[in-house]
Amino acid sequence: FRYTRNLVDNGNGKFNVMILCWGEGHGSSIHDHTDSHCFMKILQGNLKETLFEWPEKKGNGEMTKKSERVLRENQCAYINDSIGLHRVENISHTESAVSLHLYSPPFDSCNTFDQRTGHKHKVKMTFYSQFGERTLC
Amino acid sequence: SLEVLDVSGTGLAELGAELLALPRLHTLLAKNNRLGGPGSLPKGLGQASLGRSLRVLNLSGNRFAEVPPALLGLRGLQSLSLGGNRLHGIPPDIQELRSLEFLYLGGNFITSIPPELANLPSLSYLVLCDNKIQSIPPQLAQLHSLRSLSLHNNLLTYLPREILNLVHLEELSLRGNPLVVRFVRDLTYNPPSLQELAGRTIKTRNVPYARSDLPENLVRYLSLASNCPNPKCGGVYFDSCVRQIKFVDFCGKYRLPLMHYLCSPECSSPCSSASQSSTSQSESDSEDEASVAARRMQKVLLG
Repeated sequence: FRYTRNLVDNGNGKFNVMILCWGEGHGSSIHDHTDSHCFMKILQGNLKETLFEWPEKKGNGEMTKKSERVLRENQCAYINDSIGLHRVENISHTESAVSLHLYSPPFDSCNTFDQRTGHKHKVKMTFYSQFGERTLC
Repeated sequence: SLEVLDVSGTGLAELGAELLALPRLHTLLAKNNRLGGPGSLPKGLGQASLGRSLRVLNLSGNRFAEVPPALLGLRGLQSLSLGGNRLHGIPPDIQELRSLEFLYLGGNFITSIPPELANLPSLSYLVLCDNKIQSIPPQLAQLHSLRSLSLHNNLLTYLPREILNLVHLEELSLRGNPLVVRFVRDLTYNPPSLQELAGRTIKTRNVPYARSDLPENLVRYLSLASNCPNPKCGGVYFDSCVRQIKFVDFCGKYRLPLMHYLCSPECSSPCSSASQSSTSQSESDSEDEASVAARRMQKVLLG
């Protein structure tokens, strides 16, 4: 019912390579990247990336949008915590999208942010499948 | 013996009657075409064997300004997508699609949701994002099998408190709605009429009356009393109820504005804590059913 994260390679513990499958209308929360490098390549369809500033320490207002762009097939993007936070979404109501992600070092938890208030919440990230096998939780 | 037919992106302006001659067809994909005018779908779609065999229908990315009545006869349909069309509303007869589990209506111009949508017994995945919806009917909480509800990018300022009753909900998207974050002071309250006050007293104090004691219209009026939604209040109301937004707080991180209907401003809803003030801010969870529901919703919202 939401986008799936499918682990493909865990590079001897140095990185994670995964494929994300986005149905029509699926989007992520605003999130950070736990001090890791994050590369993303669009394999199919289009994904909209919206960049946000980090909220103020005692933030209690709407988060500030920095920029947004639509990434097309084969386009790549990079982000890390010093660049900012982002939300990734498939805004198409007719096409699904597929993206390839590389995270180095690998991480399994991050913070999600409420756009209206800037409040953050730590979440554990889970895989829908790993190396082709469905992961049950 | 064709089972799957994909005519997406072929510029079709109508699907012909030839479709009705495919008894084994269970999946029909016709997205990104020029469908939407009268006669886009063949007549008798529901009466043909297709009415029972078709499971999946994708008409996204077309030009439908209304849900074509022809498809409401597809009693076997499990998945329907009309995303990215030009729909301004959802017909109440959508409830005819008794087998529907997946309904995608994102990216249209829908302004309101008919309560009849809640009569779909198997609906688990409902997408209404990117529309112009201003309010959710409380009846939607009757969709007991609902697991995913997508409401992002609409015009919602609050949600009905009944939303907490969706016990199987695993996903709920609300971003991009102008949800109120502060107590709204100027919600108008229409004080009850004298007739309503008299009616309430008769009902709550069980004042006996016979049909011959009152004019027919008043007898009928008295029969229309509704119980106050607050189970702790024994009160009734007829036409006048108070609308009040109370906030359910999730660990101080996420405040959800929920609309309560009460019989009077003095009546406190089950969601409130012991103190009731007309300038209510966030309510802390108390030990009752509502707090269990709130904790469940917290998991859904915070992931």
